[in-house]
Amino acid sequence: MKALPRTLLLVLLAVLIVAPCLSDNPFYQRIAALTALAAISASAWNLIGGYGGQVSFGHSVYFGTGAYAALLAFDKLGLPPIAGAPLGMLASLVLSMLIGLPSFRLRGHYFSMATIAIAALAEGLVTNWNFAGGAIGLMGPASPRTVADLLFRSALPYYVLFVFVLAVLLALTYLMQRGRMGFYLRALGSGERAAESLGVPIRRYKLYALLLSGAFTSLAGSLYAVMIGFIDPDSGFGILVSVNMVVMSALGGAGTLFGPMLGALILVPLAETTNVVLGGGGTGAAYVAYGIIIMLLARFSPGGLAQWWAPLTGKGPRRAA
Amino acid sequence: MLLEATGIVKTFGSFHAVDGADLALQENELIGLIGPNGAGKSTFFNCLAGDTLPTAGTIRFRGADITTTPPHDRARLGLARTFQVPIVFEGMTVRENVMVGAFLRRPHRHAAADKADEVLAFTGLADHADQQVTSLGTPGRKRLEIARALATEPTVLLLDEALAGLPTAEVDLAIELVRRIHATGVTLIVVEHIMEVIHRLTQRVIVFHQGRVLAQGSPAEVTADPAVIQAYLGRHAGRRRA
Repeated sequence: MKALPRTLLLVLLAVLIVAPCLSDNPFYQRIAALTALAAISASAWNLIGGYGGQVSFGHSVYFGTGAYAALLAFDKLGLPPIAGAPLGMLASLVLSMLIGLPSFRLRGHYFSMATIAIAALAEGLVTNWNFAGGAIGLMGPASPRTVADLLFRSALPYYVLFVFVLAVLLALTYLMQRGRMGFYLRALGSGERAAESLGVPIRRYKLYALLLSGAFTSLAGSLYAVMIGFIDPDSGFGILVSVNMVVMSALGGAGTLFGPMLGALILVPLAETTNVVLGGGGTGAAYVAYGIIIMLLARFSPGGLAQWWAPLTGKGPRRAA
Repeated sequence: MLLEATGIVKTFGSFHAVDGADLALQENELIGLIGPNGAGKSTFFNCLAGDTLPTAGTIRFRGADITTTPPHDRARLGLARTFQVPIVFEGMTVRENVMVGAFLRRPHRHAAADKADEVLAFTGLADHADQQVTSLGTPGRKRLEIARALATEPTVLLLDEALAGLPTAEVDLAIELVRRIHATGVTLIVVEHIMEVIHRLTQRVIVFHQGRVLAQGSPAEVTADPAVIQAYLGRHAGRRRA
């Protein structure tokens, strides 16, 4: 009984992954690429926010760092933007340490508030950092110099790249989830004192999770900059960048392997479609929908949609924020 | 001496919750820690477990000073505990909860799962292994806490009111479980305020009152001690009984 829905889900997943490659509609291809990208950052957030239960509203710091690293590498060093990705990940590892060490002393809402403050501070700093384009931001290459610039007219190559990165991230998450680290994170997320009493060094494991999470969020930021070719303080460090990750994870099911991806699969097409249907005046409509979704989740399904599909896969979800 | 606490003081502002308490525990002892509400036994217990830093005094485990050692390092040294109000890991099955403890000495998933199954069988939870932990009631949760702590393979197990609030039939089962744990060579400290449980369980009892050790000895000795009666029932009753 258990195996049937699971195969069904896998088949559905395979169809979803392949479908955009068969479509020649640029609009759908673009949505597919953006969905995969959002799934990467939400899944990265999920490592610490979902499994570890440390609800960060400041992951835009890592996303922005990655995005700026890519376009700074191009703008200042003349490198292909993607060459900035490893630098961004490195910088994000350092930032994760600097942010995690003090903020993990705080618990629950206090931790979340500290992360909001740090992200707001980062946005302010970057806005006033003229070397990095200040409030105007940075542009990527206007036309491809070499193939390494990863500048394509179609969104399809980006989609393939993003799906590949997502697959790597989910594979890592799967391994983590099955092993000691996954157990320790879930345990400390649901009861710090009890976890500690069983020998879990909670601050060290939170830090491990944040390092991994920050690095992949940064990579998502770099990939975003590579595809879009433009970054400014708001699109890199804005609060909505963080909120997107949280809402997608919470909707699909925080602390589950596929939850954040499911959330992205629902919310990105929703946002893109409303943007197109409602035009320039309606760009905020998606966020109205986000607000409604958050309220519905809090009221009816705090474990996200995973709460409903758990009986299908036999895996229990963790409660989200 | 396996575990030794000397001159433990814990103050909250001007209030002395623990005011110079001592404890010496031999290998494979089973002792009871009792006292009326507010006697400071929970605070003292938390000092032993590493949840609370004592204001003064030292705690030694096998001769090494562990006064400021954090709880997760104490667990590694072999000091495990349960909580008065069980804290279960929601979103996990009963087996997964116990695996969290087992991972301490067995980093590999399969070894941890095997250890968890062994402990679940020992504690009588094997039938619930695959259930979500939220399906357990209070007796089940208390049992699970003990199972989780046992999975860390402790030398000393600190039980904080593991039997309080259990229905009578469950109390008998729990007493039997504590005895079996003791029989495997684990040293136990049982905090309890049900006198009857302590009577049936331990050879040595330490009575706490106003942050100090008021009396210690066999359960029969301490319950006959006028000072103990006075602490529990009030001065008037103490005088009459004495």
